[in-house]
Amino acid sequence: MYKKMIMAGLAARPVRTTVSILAVTLEVTLILVVVGLTAGISDETAKRTEGVGADILFQPPNSSLLLALSNSTMPVALGDKIREIDGVKAVVPIQTQVNSTSGLEVIYGIDFDKFNEVTGGFIWHKGGRFSAPDEVIVDDIYALARHVNVGDHVELLNHKFKIAGIVEHGKGARLFIPLQTAQGMTGAVNRASLFYVKLKDPDQVHTVIERMKQVFPTYGAIPLREYAKLMMSTSMPALDAFIETVVFVAVCIGVLVIFLSMYTTITERTREIGILRSLGASKQFIVGLIFQESAVVCLTGIVTGIAASFLMARLVTLVFPTLTVLITTGWIAKASVFALLSGIIGSLYPSLRAAAQDPVEALAYE
Amino acid sequence: MNILLETIALQKIYKVGKIDVEALRGVNLRIRQGELLAIMGPSGCGKSTLMHVLGAMARPTSGKVMIDGENITGMTDNQLTAIRRKKIGFVFQKFNLLPTLTARANIEVAQHIHGQAAGSDHDQHLAKILQLLMIEEKMGRKPFELSGGEQQRVAVARAIANRPAILLADEPTGSLDSKNSEIVLNMFRELNRRFKQTTILVTHNPELVAYTDRVIEMRDGVVVSDNDPIPRDTESELVQPARSV
Repeated sequence: MYKKMIMAGLAARPVRTTVSILAVTLEVTLILVVVGLTAGISDETAKRTEGVGADILFQPPNSSLLLALSNSTMPVALGDKIREIDGVKAVVPIQTQVNSTSGLEVIYGIDFDKFNEVTGGFIWHKGGRFSAPDEVIVDDIYALARHVNVGDHVELLNHKFKIAGIVEHGKGARLFIPLQTAQGMTGAVNRASLFYVKLKDPDQVHTVIERMKQVFPTYGAIPLREYAKLMMSTSMPALDAFIETVVFVAVCIGVLVIFLSMYTTITERTREIGILRSLGASKQFIVGLIFQESAVVCLTGIVTGIAASFLMARLVTLVFPTLTVLITTGWIAKASVFALLSGIIGSLYPSLRAAAQDPVEALAYE
Repeated sequence: MNILLETIALQKIYKVGKIDVEALRGVNLRIRQGELLAIMGPSGCGKSTLMHVLGAMARPTSGKVMIDGENITGMTDNQLTAIRRKKIGFVFQKFNLLPTLTARANIEVAQHIHGQAAGSDHDQHLAKILQLLMIEEKMGRKPFELSGGEQQRVAVARAIANRPAILLADEPTGSLDSKNSEIVLNMFRELNRRFKQTTILVTHNPELVAYTDRVIEMRDGVVVSDNDPIPRDTESELVQPARSV
C-alpha cells in the first residue's frame, strides 16, 4: 500500500520528481566522474611510472609524488654520486614538464642512452630516436588520440616539435624530448627533476634506499614497486582535500534539492497529510511516507547517476583519449551512500514538519 | 442501551492571535451506541469543533470526553491517533479523498493504516458496503473521474470499511446537489440500520433532521436543545466498553 501511495505521489508531480532525480543523478555523477578522473590520472601515471622499469625513484627534498607537480630540481651531476652508491647499476636524470594546452600531458626530458640503460629501451612502433633538439618521441596512445604520425609537427609548451618516433606506451610519460631541450625551455640548465635508478639486484631496494638516505638525508627515494600504493595513500593530502571538497559540494546539491522538493511537496500536500492523520495515521507513518518517497527518488537517481557516470567516462575518453576515468566499485558504493544520506538529511525536516501538523488545521488547508 | 460517547462540561478555547475564542462553553452530551443523530446549528456555533473533539482530532481545553469507555482528555497525540484509527470514521463536506489514488486505493489506505489484514471476512464486509453504496464499478477511478455524489460515497465507504464504532460526518451533503444529498442521506440511514454504527451528522441544514432519530441543537458553543436526551441518572449503563461494530 505504501508503495502504491509513494508511486502515485511521485507520478502526480512528474516535473518535480524528474528534477529531484536529476539532482541526485548529478550528485552521483559529479562524485564518480571527478573522483574517477583523479583516480584514473594518478593510477595511469603510477602504472606508467612503474612501467619505466627502474627500481628506485629519486627526488629532490619536499617533492610531490605527482611527478609533474615537482618544481624543485637537482644538479644532473648528482646522478654520478648516486651511481657510486653500492648496488646501483644505472641512473637516468629526467626533467619533467607539463603541457596543458590540450588535456594534461607529462613530458619527459631524457638522456636517450641513459634512459635506455635504465628502462631496457622503448618498444618502437614507428620511427626512431631524436636526431635534433626539436624532435619528440610520442607514445602510441598520444599518436592515436592526436592523429599524428612520424614526421608530423606538434606544438608543446609554445615550441614546435617534429615527431621522430612512436613507441609503446607505459614508460613514464607519453612524450619524450631531449634533456638539454627540456632544460633550456625551463632555464634549468644541467638540472633534473628526478632520477630513475636501476639496481644490480632489485631485491636489495630497501637496503640501497637506506644507503641513499645516509648520503642524501633530505632527498626522497621511493621503491617504484610501491609507487602506485603511495600515490593512492594519505601521502597526498591535497588530493584527498580536493576529493572531499567535491564530495561535500555534491552532497550539498543533493541535500538542498531533496529538501526543497520534499518541503514543497509537504506544503502542497498538507491537506493529504491531514486526511491521513484523520484516518488514524501516526506521526511515524507520515515520516516513513516522506522518507520512503525520498528514498525512491534517491535510489532512482543513484541508478541513473551510475549509468550517467559510465557514459561520461566514455565521453571523456572519446574526447580526451589520453585521460582515464577510473570508476571503482568502492566509489560507486560511497557515492550511493552519500546520495542516500543527502536524501535522509534533505527529507528529515520536511518529514518532521509534516508529522507535526495539526490534523484539524491540515484538513482546513486550501 | 450502552452509552458510547459522553462529554461533561466540555470547553474548547482557541487562540486567534492574542484573542481567546471560546468555541465550546460547557457542552454536556450523552450518545448511545447505534444512534443516528444530527448536531445542528448555525455557522460558528461550535458544532465542527465538537465533532473534532468527539473524533479525537482536537483536545478539549477543559471538561471530560469519554469515547467507548476511555477518557481521551489527557491523552497523548499517539493515543488520540490510536483512538481515531480504531474507533472513528470521518466523512467530510469536501470528500477529502486522496487525489492521486483510485477509489479502491483510497479505501485500502484506510485499511492499511488500520492494520486490517486482507481476508475473506473483511473482503465480504467491504463488498457489502460497496454494493450498498452502488460504487462497485467505480473502484478503479480516481476522484477527479467521479461525480461529487460518487466521491462522497467512496468517502463513506472508506470511513466505515474498518468498522469504526462511531461515524462522524461533517456537512456530508454540503457539496452535493439535492438529488445526491438524498441518496447519501438515505445511505447513512441504511448503513446505520445494517451495521449499527453510531452515526453523527454535523450540519446546519435542517432538511437532514428527517433522516435522523435524534437532533441536538447548538448555539454559541452550548447545547440548546435535544429531542431525546439521556438523563444523568443512567450512570450504571455508562461506558460499557463497546467494541467496534
